[in-house]
Amino acid sequence: MKKVVVTGIGAITPLGPDFTSLMNAVYQGQSGVKALNIPWVNQLHSPLAAPVLFPVEDQFTKLRRLMLDRVAQLGLLAVKEAINQAQLNTALDEGLTGGIFWGTGMGGAHTLEQAYMDSFSNPNARPRPTTIVMFMTNSTTGQIGIEHKIKGPSTTYSSACSSSAVAIGEAFEAIRHGKINYAIAGGSEALLTLGVMKAWESLQTLARPDHERPETSCRPFSKDRSGFILGEGAASLILESEEHAKQRGANILCEIVGYGNTTDASHITQPDANGQARAMSLALSQAGLSIDDVDYINAHGTGTQVGDISETKAIHYVFGEKAKQIPVSATKALHGHLMGATGAVEMAIALGSLLNRQIPGTAHLFNPDPDCDLDYVSEGTRVLDKLDVVMSNSFGFGGNNAVLIAQRYR
Amino acid sequence: MSSLPVIQKMLVEEFGLTQEQVQPDSQLEELGVDSLATVEFMFMLEDRFKLKMSGEPVPIKTVGDIAKEVDAAMEKQGISLTDN
Repeated sequence: MKKVVVTGIGAITPLGPDFTSLMNAVYQGQSGVKALNIPWVNQLHSPLAAPVLFPVEDQFTKLRRLMLDRVAQLGLLAVKEAINQAQLNTALDEGLTGGIFWGTGMGGAHTLEQAYMDSFSNPNARPRPTTIVMFMTNSTTGQIGIEHKIKGPSTTYSSACSSSAVAIGEAFEAIRHGKINYAIAGGSEALLTLGVMKAWESLQTLARPDHERPETSCRPFSKDRSGFILGEGAASLILESEEHAKQRGANILCEIVGYGNTTDASHITQPDANGQARAMSLALSQAGLSIDDVDYINAHGTGTQVGDISETKAIHYVFGEKAKQIPVSATKALHGHLMGATGAVEMAIALGSLLNRQIPGTAHLFNPDPDCDLDYVSEGTRVLDKLDVVMSNSFGFGGNNAVLIAQRYR
Repeated sequence: MSSLPVIQKMLVEEFGLTQEQVQPDSQLEELGVDSLATVEFMFMLEDRFKLKMSGEPVPIKTVGDIAKEVDAAMEKQGISLTDN
């Protein structure tokens, strides 16, 4: 088996246009949650969301935008940053030994909704001829291939909130088994549309707005938590075999060592702590690490009543008496729930924590919940003397659980 | 009177091309206007000139080809530029 290393990280999120701004914001406890400033906001029960404020569209020519939904635009920007950091030249092998592994929950939600609105409001309306190629879930994947001329395998993963964690995990496996030398892995999501947001409202998993402090409305592991805030964005990693990275003299940031993927097989939305625990155990086992080795867990931590208790239980199941000693933080309080992109964004934060030897706290944990009894780093950023192994949890509707483990590269 | 000047103006406005790029013999593919973008543009032209293109596959390779198609459709449907 080959060692798999990370050589590039890119992110565009509600907390800023790049990976550095994301890390700075989570360390400072800066929230990207705000009232949307759009005409249809009055049709929502809550105007709160975590939008990307950076002028995304302006980064592409008009002609290029004809084929790019916002979800692809966000994805391409995150990939560009990661490739630049990795200084990866895909022309050297004509892209033949590289792959694309991308996650998204909904694909081009804006495009699809526009086509529906056009069609339902006017019987003679014709949706744009590019509608299909913009909303299909593999649209971003294909556009990344076109942009960077990567010609190996490309696969799109859609497992709701774990989509991009699965994408990173599967890229890790493909490199580990020697099928490819390098991969662009990550995910993007852009679903802040009226129809999608109203559908989420109906599911009753969104946070109740705090009218005095709206930016604190998402409160993972706090007793007064009431759900999550929808967000948008993208994150991308460049993964390579250690051999490939060394041959081209790349700067190796860290190593991916474990990936666990399980299915609850119990309920379409209710999480199952056993399924989550099995994913963590599988990742540890693959990494050849013990429970004593894990220094930080970036929790899925959505801020729903049921979800946070389930994850807490799952961490207890896996780590036993050690569970309360491991710092666990949920950064969704700040960047929102980026659905298909969230696993990649949170893995990027876990990797940033490893590189900076500093972990972000769980923001807005105002009222401790006796049923959530781990160390959630509620005081804010913490510098750790030993920070060599990080775990990132992602659990999706449908019952998919994906856990990634990275360690310091030596 | 040909639709060419209006088409050139629309290519500049809608696709961000320059006036120099949209000469009658300019190849659309070379401008980055692929077959999908061309269909998108034909939809825009139908809306702009209130006409219906034939829907038959026709070889459109250049900016001038678009104008020829539009001119032919307008003549057939009795639409003149002054109607728009």
